[in-house]
Amino acid sequence: MRRTLLPLLLAAALLGGCSTAEPAPAPVPAGGAAALPGPVPADLALRPAPGTAPAAPAFTGALTDGTPFAAAELWAQRPVVLTFFNSWCTTCASRQAALSELARSYRDRVVFVGVAGADQADEVQEYLRAHRVEYPVILDDQQTIWRSYAVREPPAVVLVAKGGALLRGWPGGLDAPTLDQRLRELVLAGQS
Amino acid sequence: MRRSIMALLPLLLAGATGCGTVGAAQEAVSPTTVRVLVRDINIRAAGVDCAGTGPYQHFHNRAPFRVLDPDGAALASGRLAAGTAVAAFAEDLGVERLPTYCEFAVGVRVPQRASYRLEVDGRPALDLTPDSSEGPALVAVVPS
Repeated sequence: MRRTLLPLLLAAALLGGCSTAEPAPAPVPAGGAAALPGPVPADLALRPAPGTAPAAPAFTGALTDGTPFAAAELWAQRPVVLTFFNSWCTTCASRQAALSELARSYRDRVVFVGVAGADQADEVQEYLRAHRVEYPVILDDQQTIWRSYAVREPPAVVLVAKGGALLRGWPGGLDAPTLDQRLRELVLAGQS
Repeated sequence: MRRSIMALLPLLLAGATGCGTVGAAQEAVSPTTVRVLVRDINIRAAGVDCAGTGPYQHFHNRAPFRVLDPDGAALASGRLAAGTAVAAFAEDLGVERLPTYCEFAVGVRVPQRASYRLEVDGRPALDLTPDSSEGPALVAVVPS
């Protein structure tokens, strides 16, 4: 009797598994439209950009999920930090968790935008998830944005004022505490 | 069960013997270091991780490489580690960030050949030159 029941139980278990299996929903790509900022806080106070600052090169591109992106639309409302990186960049990786946390602390006030140059989309996703990057990220496959900012290798950081003035660039990048200090000195009013 | 194992035993032994024969027929290989200096004169702090720039941007951490013989056959393969920035000039410029080159070094084991070439990320291969000034090495110096 026991021998007869066993195959039946196994078959029932298998069929039950088949009937309840549903395709898992595709994960939302990190760095896509869901990472775009919300409205600018009403109490955001900014320093005026120096009149001598040149205009930052405006650019368009696509976020990791294909969403069209225009940098000028973003910096028309608030300061923007561009972080040029690659998924294979060891220096980028060593600093990224702290930069991700800094970006979260400034969310909606100063927007961070990642620019991955000539990288593999799946490896960029792995990097963004590993380092909890929650800001928008552009895939710059032809490195046209990199070239327009004269970025020769990652990491590099660029600070653009509200309105599009190019305030500072740091070839080689910088760590989160230093960037935080520079944001207070260069863009946020009453912070330094 | 025991019968099945006994039946398989000759096959297993034959397979093991076959592996040993192949191993014995392999060419002798010697350890050496592939060293590539990308002379990009990029401004960096000496000693930091770096990647190639300009036409050598494909030289970077995790980039796949192959060491080829004169006929194009792969002798060794792997992935590059990050490069290391080395000062381009001996003078002390008194600043942290200075003109540097990006140097890559990776250990390989290759058989003796008349010449070797290095292919990185599927791009056109570079000539490697034997150099023993700092231990056995195959070197390439490339402009950027």
